[in-house]
Amino acid sequence: MRGAIGPADARAVLAADSSTLVQLLRAIETLEQEPQERTVRVGVSSSATVDLLGVYLRRHGLLAATGIEVVPGTFDDPIGDIERFRDAGIGHVVLLPFFDGLLPAFEDRLATLAPGAVDALEERLRSRYRLTLEQAREMDTVFLGTFHRLGTPADIGGRDVVATVLERFNAVLREEAAAFANVRLVDTEDVVRTVGRTAAFDARFYFRSRAPYTGAFLDELARRVTAGARGFGAHFHKVLVLDCDNTLWGGVVGEDSATGIQLGPHDHPGSVFWRVQHQIAALRHQGVLLCLCTKNNPDDVEEVLRRHPDMVLRPEDFAATKVNWDDKPANLRALAAELGVGLDSMVFLDDSPFECEAVRQQLPMVTTVQVPATLSVYPQVVQQVAELFLAGGVTAESRDKTEQYRRRAQAQELQAQSVDQEAYLASLQLTVELRRDVRADAARVSELSQKSNQFNLTTRRYSVAEIERLIDSPQHAVYSLVVGDTFGSAGLTGAAVLRYDGVRAHVESFFLSCRVLGRGVETAVWPQIVDDAVARGCSELRADFVPTAKNAQVADFYDRLGLRIAAEADDGSRSYRIEADDFDTPPPAWIEMSSVG
Amino acid sequence: MATVLRVPAESIGPDSSMDTVPGWDSLRHLTLVLALEEEFGVYIPDEEAGSITPYPLIKLVLTELLEAKA
Repeated sequence: MRGAIGPADARAVLAADSSTLVQLLRAIETLEQEPQERTVRVGVSSSATVDLLGVYLRRHGLLAATGIEVVPGTFDDPIGDIERFRDAGIGHVVLLPFFDGLLPAFEDRLATLAPGAVDALEERLRSRYRLTLEQAREMDTVFLGTFHRLGTPADIGGRDVVATVLERFNAVLREEAAAFANVRLVDTEDVVRTVGRTAAFDARFYFRSRAPYTGAFLDELARRVTAGARGFGAHFHKVLVLDCDNTLWGGVVGEDSATGIQLGPHDHPGSVFWRVQHQIAALRHQGVLLCLCTKNNPDDVEEVLRRHPDMVLRPEDFAATKVNWDDKPANLRALAAELGVGLDSMVFLDDSPFECEAVRQQLPMVTTVQVPATLSVYPQVVQQVAELFLAGGVTAESRDKTEQYRRRAQAQELQAQSVDQEAYLASLQLTVELRRDVRADAARVSELSQKSNQFNLTTRRYSVAEIERLIDSPQHAVYSLVVGDTFGSAGLTGAAVLRYDGVRAHVESFFLSCRVLGRGVETAVWPQIVDDAVARGCSELRADFVPTAKNAQVADFYDRLGLRIAAEADDGSRSYRIEADDFDTPPPAWIEMSSVG
Repeated sequence: MATVLRVPAESIGPDSSMDTVPGWDSLRHLTLVLALEEEFGVYIPDEEAGSITPYPLIKLVLTELLEAKA
């Protein structure tokens, strides 16, 4: 029954919602025997019995890699407690006044209390907490729980005498707290709402031991206090790094164009992204630095940021941007260096499981959040992101830091390269299936030729019938490629059309979906294509690049592939050639190739 | 019980009660009742919750509750 568990299992127990109290206690004991990066002592002073709060504070502290030593106070003695905590050098205090205990059975007596009694109580309350908070002036943080009610009003209108007095007394706490910068209020009524009133209290132990709360209430309270303390100093988030396509707006700007993306107050799903942008703009307003990190053509993103009528976020909202085709971990490192912030102060929001996993693996100190597949919960996820920044409170000075950081970023443009990128790609177990003249692929190849703008060497658009004709033609070959990795198959995501003319194999078209870029797929397929050409008697490969407004990123693709420029036109078009024998660009070692047809 | 009461498992036996186990005070008892309820999936009524302090009584009450549930 009392089996020992390892630290990793223990951490999983702490993180799981379903863990029982006994499981939690064992997991906490296991982890507290490990060396802690940091241990913090937290004093708890309450006017109700809240012993279990200590267990949950330790739980949430450990989840933020912080050992918590809970120092309990004396029942209903905040002034004395603070004095003792202060003398013991304790920096953090949780202070929990309790409404129904202000007088025995206070809520039920309120209606019959003598006139003037409430006024006297209010004065006593005010002076008591003023003195308490003054005593605590030197402490790091005082978490002061506001009052909540225990019962429910009999009047369905809700505005009974208890509600009125509760409101008055909470105003007292707020007023007194406002004078001290180190006091953070914790809205306990909202904790009750979140947990559910019936699940928050246990009358058995309230009457017996003045312990009104269930584990569920104290767990949620501890979670909020820990979030409010930023993991008791474990983290301080400052920067929100955002992807663009399917994160700030719906759709892919490189394919759908700046006017084709989904964004706006009145349509679905554009309205979800529009709301999310407002949430993000509110964060920016409260001092969070925003950055872009997206694989896109800079001009496309610029166009949307400057001119899309429904964009909420505009260029000046971003402290720094990385709009390029480099891998995201490298870009995040560069952003951190430019802004002069730690990677652990960054939160990264992206819709792609590939990108999120890359960042989680290579930069575990960055907090990575993926846009949920179910779009309706996206605003809720962003709300949780907001909590990462705001639960600890916002100081006036931190507002409008963006301009300052922008200048710094512009001064320090620099390129960081990930040494681990190759190891990461290897861990993905990338597979590429190169299919030749598969008629069933014709529709998708045609569609991709119509949609691909960015990675498209000649931007020729094909109808389904044309592709079918090319497949049937002995003088042509249509290659399609299917990319898969540990996350599953990305489906048919690229194609090449070849024309055979005597000893020459001519690449008419080559295009890829930008979903699979940056993984070496674009070079992996060529040894096989060249081998096929040689097998049918060709000895030379020819290819063209035709520039468009969108395909700048592939301007040097054939150069990188090792082909030589044969001719260049005034409009920037280039033709390339290479002897099949001279072609020696190896496929990337991390990709497993296979072929069909 | 040993986990909640923070004593070695082998020290809990038929003779255990609030009087014999150090640290088993009324507050720890509250935690113990909550933990027992959660582990066994039962609700210990108010009358029993405060009074089941000797180990044999805890066993008896839990057995009855589990039988009633079955």
